[in-house]
Amino acid sequence: MDPGVYKELLSRVPRTFVPSLNEQFRRWDYLFPTAQRTLKAQLDWLAALSAPEFQKLFTPLLEIESRMELPKWQPQSVGIGMQDAGMLARSPHYGVWRAEVAKVFTQVDEATAGLNPFARIPRLVVCSLPPGLPIKSELWPDLAPRGKWLALAELPLKWERSMVAVLAHRRLPAGMEEVEGTWIVECAPRFSPAAGPGAVAISWDALAPARRVFLSRLNAIQRDLKSADQTAEDLGKMDLAGLLGPGLGDRPRVREFIRKLLLSGNGSLVFDNSFTEWGAAEALLEAKPQMLVAGFGIRPKLKPFSSTVLFEDQHRNNPTPDEDDPAGSLIDGQMLSQYVYYSSERDACYQDHALTLFMCADVPRLLVLGPKELVAGLNALLGPIASGDLTNFLLKWLES
Amino acid sequence: MTRRTVLRLIPAAVAARLSGVARARPLASGKRLVLVTIGGIRRQESFSTQGAVNIPHLMNDLLPQSVFYPYTANEGVTSHFNTISSVLTGSWEHVDDWGSQKPTRPTLFHYLQTQQHTRPNDTWVVTSNKQLTANISPGVNVILSKQLLVEAVERIIQGQTHRRQLERDQILEEMRSVIDTDYERIGWGVPSASSFQDPEVKQTFITAISNFIHGPDAPTSGDELTFLVGREVLDRLAPSMLMMNFSDVEVAHSGSYSLHVGGIRRSDLLCHRLWEFIQSRPELKATTTLVIMNEFGRDPDGSSTNGFFNHRTNTECCRMAWSMVLGPAVRKPQVVENTIRQVDMAPTIGSWMGIECEKSEGRPLPELSS
Repeated sequence: MDPGVYKELLSRVPRTFVPSLNEQFRRWDYLFPTAQRTLKAQLDWLAALSAPEFQKLFTPLLEIESRMELPKWQPQSVGIGMQDAGMLARSPHYGVWRAEVAKVFTQVDEATAGLNPFARIPRLVVCSLPPGLPIKSELWPDLAPRGKWLALAELPLKWERSMVAVLAHRRLPAGMEEVEGTWIVECAPRFSPAAGPGAVAISWDALAPARRVFLSRLNAIQRDLKSADQTAEDLGKMDLAGLLGPGLGDRPRVREFIRKLLLSGNGSLVFDNSFTEWGAAEALLEAKPQMLVAGFGIRPKLKPFSSTVLFEDQHRNNPTPDEDDPAGSLIDGQMLSQYVYYSSERDACYQDHALTLFMCADVPRLLVLGPKELVAGLNALLGPIASGDLTNFLLKWLES
Repeated sequence: MTRRTVLRLIPAAVAARLSGVARARPLASGKRLVLVTIGGIRRQESFSTQGAVNIPHLMNDLLPQSVFYPYTANEGVTSHFNTISSVLTGSWEHVDDWGSQKPTRPTLFHYLQTQQHTRPNDTWVVTSNKQLTANISPGVNVILSKQLLVEAVERIIQGQTHRRQLERDQILEEMRSVIDTDYERIGWGVPSASSFQDPEVKQTFITAISNFIHGPDAPTSGDELTFLVGREVLDRLAPSMLMMNFSDVEVAHSGSYSLHVGGIRRSDLLCHRLWEFIQSRPELKATTTLVIMNEFGRDPDGSSTNGFFNHRTNTECCRMAWSMVLGPAVRKPQVVENTIRQVDMAPTIGSWMGIECEKSEGRPLPELSS
């Protein structure tokens, strides 16, 4: 990708777009194939617009920008730091600006959607809660009306890993790169070992060495935004490969994805289930894998004193013994797995093209959401569904 | 004995120490204001059919005695410092979110100081939110209670002190050290002639914190500490205006829904305890209006900003807050269905206190006494 090709275009787009686009150019080699295809298609489409079409698309936004106090960006400015983001967010025009940006992107996305070769392939999202949760009422009551509960012949605990193993070794659609195939984001390595080397498997537990380094750096931030931006910049340059180990550290795109995940907040450094949700949501957004497994876990109870400092390793210097919080984890896991589903539903690649399975390792039932005919197909399997039948059904669907 | 009963004993424990400290001089009208703000809480987890379970005290004990505004719009920046600044000034503020700038217009505190000539110990802020620094209103006593605890814990964890373990006595010693030497750096604001600089008052805080830390269940909640310190200020100094801020709900930013809901339930409990406390003191009961406001909601489930984690969407779920007013400013308990704005509260309550918020853009609320 040569950003110079788009230099003229960048001089015409709204000012607030430029630092983000420059950031995308800088990170081009780290963008996943789908993000590269999308960005290129969008820029080419914009560059090909006639002057009146371009004006029609951007004039409202440019008009709003003209009334906003914006950071002192230069044409070569890269990325939006915390100080810049704060300035944007406190503008009296932030709300309308944001709405107009969304409107522009809706138009751009609609115009370029047809250019994605994998826009309509079958996809699968699996959200799995761990065993040992104190379940006393119906799981996922908000989602259940949209889907179908199916009885299972055996507890998922006995077969979920082998199902993931079979599905992870499926045949990918022609032209799809391996990194777009199977992603696993989870608390403990429940599914990762089954996925094989081609899958991207990220677990909170396995990232412990990297998380510790990030936490210690973030804890040293002085109480000002400049210091926060500087720390983010330093962590952005830190050599992560050794901390992540083989399989993650030696795959530049995945390595940079993890770096971004650990720097992006949303609890990704604090709670394992938040890490899983946010990691899964970001993977859906950026990598758009054909199959994604989100494995939730049981987090520990907060410890006195050190829990007041959220960016802290609860084990450090705290004599209070570890204790699990299964009740809290059940509440968190249900809500956060629901959020994974919402993330997929926001993306045209998954809307109407994805089956989503919600299950809990020691509950012999499965909540399925997705295209009606597929859910009906699963429902047509007689009696409590055997794991082999389910796996075969999903494999056939993904390879269709 | 439970932790709760121990915490309830604290005022008695510190009363003797405070006996020599001058109480705030009441306003000529004798009126006092306690304003409580709570970080973002969505309607679906609070004043709704499914959320009512999280706020039994607000819903069942306080609402029937109050003027309740279920639709209180936040039309400003849905961040903490800007929202609280807007509530206090009665105008939409657009300043730095991290508390490094002062609100651009005068606050209720400022109007009190200039129009009623209050003394330094008449105006207090006790807050869990570290963004609410001394910049919130110059000349006010600003006590970042939770930040004191956080600072002490951080120092121990990061090896910046000879104390090495997060054990009660070591933490208490570290907190004492922060109060002695570093309270301004962590954002506390103390007017020059404040009673806080009186060693006796300083000791009062240490004693209160000591009792908190040595409760039977070691604390995990910054809001309980904030409540305790705020109640102490109210009881012993009886200021004209005390603002308290609860922010345990903000654990939502880290994605734990269960802990977020736990924070809502704690806020509900602490608001009720605060009201009960005011009602238990005849001097306060007759004179004190309690205003409880949530700063905003949070983002809706399914939003691209990760739903309950954040509060930055331009949606009703995020912008529509609520307010509750209890005490002598209430003409008649009622639920006011029409939409009001957060900036309406300052001029209304100001008018009740006998001050004019001349630079406010808010409109008076007729349901409250002026």
